[in-house]
Amino acid sequence: MSFLLQLLFSGIVLGLVYALAALGFVLIYKASRVVNFAQGQFIAIGAFLAYWAMVSLGAPFLLAAALALALTALLGFGVERVFLKRLVGQPIISVIMATIGLASLLDGLIHLTPYGAGNFSYPSFLPAGGVTLLGVQISYAQLLAMGFTLLFLLAFTWFFQRSTLGVAMRSVADDQMAAMSLGVSVEKVFALAWAAAGLTAAAAGIVVGTISGLNLDGLVHIGLRVFPVVILGGLDSIPGAVVAGILIGVLENLAAGFLDPFIPGGGTRDVFPFLVLLLVLWFKPHGLFGTEEIERV
Amino acid sequence: MRNPWAQTGNYRTSYQQDTSIFATHRELVSLLLFLGFLLVLPLFLSRTQVFILDLILVYSIAVLGLNITTGYAGLINIGQAAFMGVGAYTAALLAPQGLPFWLVIPLGGLVAALFGYLVGIPSLRVKHLYLALATLAFQVVFEWIVGHLPLLKQGGAMDMPRASFLGYEAGFRNHFHFWYYVSLVVLVLLAVFFRNLLRTRYGRALVAVRDNDRAADAMGMDPGRTKLFAFALGAFYAGVAGVLYAYLSRAVVIEDYTFAVSIKLLAMAIVGGLGTLVGSFLGPVFLELLDVNMEALSNLIKALGFSVAGVDVASALRPLAFGLIIVLFLMFEPRGLYNWWRIVRSYFRTWPFKY
Repeated sequence: MSFLLQLLFSGIVLGLVYALAALGFVLIYKASRVVNFAQGQFIAIGAFLAYWAMVSLGAPFLLAAALALALTALLGFGVERVFLKRLVGQPIISVIMATIGLASLLDGLIHLTPYGAGNFSYPSFLPAGGVTLLGVQISYAQLLAMGFTLLFLLAFTWFFQRSTLGVAMRSVADDQMAAMSLGVSVEKVFALAWAAAGLTAAAAGIVVGTISGLNLDGLVHIGLRVFPVVILGGLDSIPGAVVAGILIGVLENLAAGFLDPFIPGGGTRDVFPFLVLLLVLWFKPHGLFGTEEIERV
Repeated sequence: MRNPWAQTGNYRTSYQQDTSIFATHRELVSLLLFLGFLLVLPLFLSRTQVFILDLILVYSIAVLGLNITTGYAGLINIGQAAFMGVGAYTAALLAPQGLPFWLVIPLGGLVAALFGYLVGIPSLRVKHLYLALATLAFQVVFEWIVGHLPLLKQGGAMDMPRASFLGYEAGFRNHFHFWYYVSLVVLVLLAVFFRNLLRTRYGRALVAVRDNDRAADAMGMDPGRTKLFAFALGAFYAGVAGVLYAYLSRAVVIEDYTFAVSIKLLAMAIVGGLGTLVGSFLGPVFLELLDVNMEALSNLIKALGFSVAGVDVASALRPLAFGLIIVLFLMFEPRGLYNWWRIVRSYFRTWPFKY
């Protein structure tokens, strides 16, 4: 029983990370119909920026995290201004390829720094150990990660429900033409969506870093894991991203816990989300909360 | 009477002329001359250089297939390397049984085509991005299954036997030359098929479905069957390329058929020009030569002593240059190298006139 609870709990923590990463993805897709294959690289950049600020600059955790969030958001903003802005109106394959190219480019840039290979971990700023609840071991890092993620999700909810900019972004997602005619700057919204995606990616990276350490391949891999999440939740649904993120995280952990012993070599968690992806595509292509596309000739 | 050797502009006046492939004798002759040049080319090159040519030829075949699925039919496929892998693993299982390579090549293609057909089934319901993700999922699942099957040595090296043809053995010295000629013949056959595909109703149906599948449906085509056909055909090309790659490298390893390779193939198709025959060769030539030069460049940087501790320049430069090329091409020349080729060609065709 406690094994199950343990799996469930760490699945939820993992799922919250996926939710954060998927949130950035959905924001971009909702605003500009661009699929961002570079989300994993953003995650890695955010995580390593925080590491750099903590180790090289000696900043405390909160300051380093804030700096990493700001810089990654700026990077997202810049990427939209320099690359994606010129591709507005191009066929979908061009846009997909552009973000894939971008991912490769960022990958190369990270490899130019000493963080390209090897494992790193943040200097410990939390007391060791943790609390035990219902027989489940919860480390302080996991607690912090959960708090951080929930805080972020709440802040985003507030932003989209209450602030003018958030409402403008939602209006563009809803109907670009109508938003434009009401004086919303669509260009600004596109750039902002990318900045927000950078922000959430960095947050996800930092959370992963505190729980399980930093490794470029591992961080980039989360970017791919985003796809099952957004397909399950519906490509253009923010609540969908959160719910599906947690679902995928839990499912993945349960698969790893219960199926791995039966499979030589293990590693079920690497493939399970993609099997879910295929099943969803087969039976409910627009996901749990996505808008059904209606086509006219 | 017009000069059949040179003409300025398009003078196709009858249906028969319009369906011909070569407008002038000059085009046909220059193509034949170029093929002749390709036949003698390896005689003047070292083994390493021939190996690079081999790679270009093999990738060209896979890119041709990608140009059918993605270029003609508009179905985004980011799992082409997995289809190559299916062909390669088919070869790794069949070739040691003593089957001759000219039988293994089409068999590998057929098995890959079967997988392409299966992966294409979601395309009956979803399209664009959703479909792209289905192919991505296939790529991931393929890598995982190969990595867990003891039959396939869990992704480790599976040896391929050397081949022989009509008593001619491909040994150590002439291995790359042998596969150069085999790949060239296969490539020419598949390229002729590719070029003629658009002249058949099946090929034209692909383009019609890409441009508007509902309208194509109303015109009496079956979009579902057309899409599955495109997937299977594209995968067949990839499978053939995979078999050739397996023979060429004398071992099948999972690293040669990963997601990164899929992206490389897609980049080759885009840099060359999506949906074009010439682009299917220009893209692989360009990116493969770039790859080789990146290796040389990173060695140079290392030799000059610019390297920082803990930084692997080689593993940084490759993705860097690769990503930059893709993004720059998409931004400034979305029609790819094919467009440059077209401009140069039309300049020579109408010379000395401007147009």
